[in-house]
Amino acid sequence: MRVLVDISRCQGHARCEDICPEVFATDAIEGKCVIADPQVPPGLEDKVRLAVRNCPEGALRVAGDGKGGA
Amino acid sequence: MTLQFQPPPPDHVAPERMVEFDFFHIPPGVGDPAEIWHDLVRRGVPEIFYTPRNGGHWVFLDYADIVEAYRDYSIFSTYQTPVPPIEPFPVVQPQAVDPPAHNTFRRLLAPMFTPIAVRGMTDELRRRADQLIEPLAERGHCDFIGDFAERFPTGTFLYLFGLPESRLDEFLALANTFFRSTDPAARAGNITAIYAVLDQLFRDKQANPGDDIASAIVTARNEAGEPHDWTDVLNCGFLLFVAGLDTVTNTLAYIWRYLATTPAAQQHFRDQLDDPDAFLRAIEELMRINAVSNLFRRVTHDCEFRGVQLRRNDRVVLPNTVANRDPRVFADPQTIDLDRAVNVHVTFGVGPHRCVGSHLAKREVMVALQEWLRRIPPFELDPDQPAGSVFGGSVMGFTSLRLRWDRR
Repeated sequence: MRVLVDISRCQGHARCEDICPEVFATDAIEGKCVIADPQVPPGLEDKVRLAVRNCPEGALRVAGDGKGGA
Repeated sequence: MTLQFQPPPPDHVAPERMVEFDFFHIPPGVGDPAEIWHDLVRRGVPEIFYTPRNGGHWVFLDYADIVEAYRDYSIFSTYQTPVPPIEPFPVVQPQAVDPPAHNTFRRLLAPMFTPIAVRGMTDELRRRADQLIEPLAERGHCDFIGDFAERFPTGTFLYLFGLPESRLDEFLALANTFFRSTDPAARAGNITAIYAVLDQLFRDKQANPGDDIASAIVTARNEAGEPHDWTDVLNCGFLLFVAGLDTVTNTLAYIWRYLATTPAAQQHFRDQLDDPDAFLRAIEELMRINAVSNLFRRVTHDCEFRGVQLRRNDRVVLPNTVANRDPRVFADPQTIDLDRAVNVHVTFGVGPHRCVGSHLAKREVMVALQEWLRRIPPFELDPDQPAGSVFGGSVMGFTSLRLRWDRR
């Protein structure tokens, strides 16, 4: 499973980082989402899906798990 | 008593969309000012309606419409938005400037309020919260507004601006007149006074820059390498002064009022003091249910929105508290579920003008609650609480909130 961010939509709510800091961070310039490795480590899929559903801007999406469109 | 001019209803508004509604007026007996908004929903008024009160303005009640208004600045501008209208109004930087021009000051402020930057402030926030709470513990009672909820964010402002603690009462007085006075002369004098204070502050920081936000703003350079326009510098300082005080004060007040009346919720937070994930999730739910801000936009041109005719310069009021309880978005929206997993609340707005200080605000709430619960035993509302200590408007809240608990 991969997770992707549309940085043009991201406004820096940082809800993703609150929920799954293992995958999401925010930059030190604008506080926008940074995904160091879009490949989600095994075991974190549910947390990542929860982070995606909690983005108020709809800027995140998962790909390649058969549940979210790529 | 001031007489307010009420212009006749504009002819582009369909009669079925006209609703009498004054969001500054909280009827006697209403204990929670947000209830006047939820009452509209219960009455089934149109989800886009127009009220002739306060100079006349639209209200959006649908989560999707509110979010769209925040995002689509081509229709819904933040420039010159006060309700009731005050013109000219300071062009507050960067809040009152539409993209892309707002980026100049947004990019200047953003790095100082990122989650990373705010994490670095935690120890100082904790120290400040402790300092206020420790003397209260012995007393067994307090007025939460005057003793804590006003002083904590105002002290945070002094810290961020590199100002001495000795000026706390001066800034509290300025803020209280700004947020609570309804006397036009007092208000006008107060804005002049705030700008005079900011002018002196920025001049001092220009001469002796320190490691603080005021210094960062005044020493910043534009793309041409020149200092920013002095008016913009003052207007940016003004934004930080007005945006981070009353909002935080009343968010704290709402949360403590809820906890004082809900022992199970107090216990939930006490149980989660050592579980940051659960604590944060519960805070997020309190932010959803206690959205104090009703934000304004101004229509940029005659157009249709969701089939409704809008006219240039129409004002729009966006009640976050209504969006946050929209059953189309939130499961069981009226229930406060401290373990709510999906929570796309709009308490800080969305889109390009989303609150730049949100991470600081949330951190202030979190630190205050942790320190409070560590020092104060179970607390409740004081039955001596005077009635009518509530107000509506752009920020809703409380003028007094008396709490009591068993002394140690």
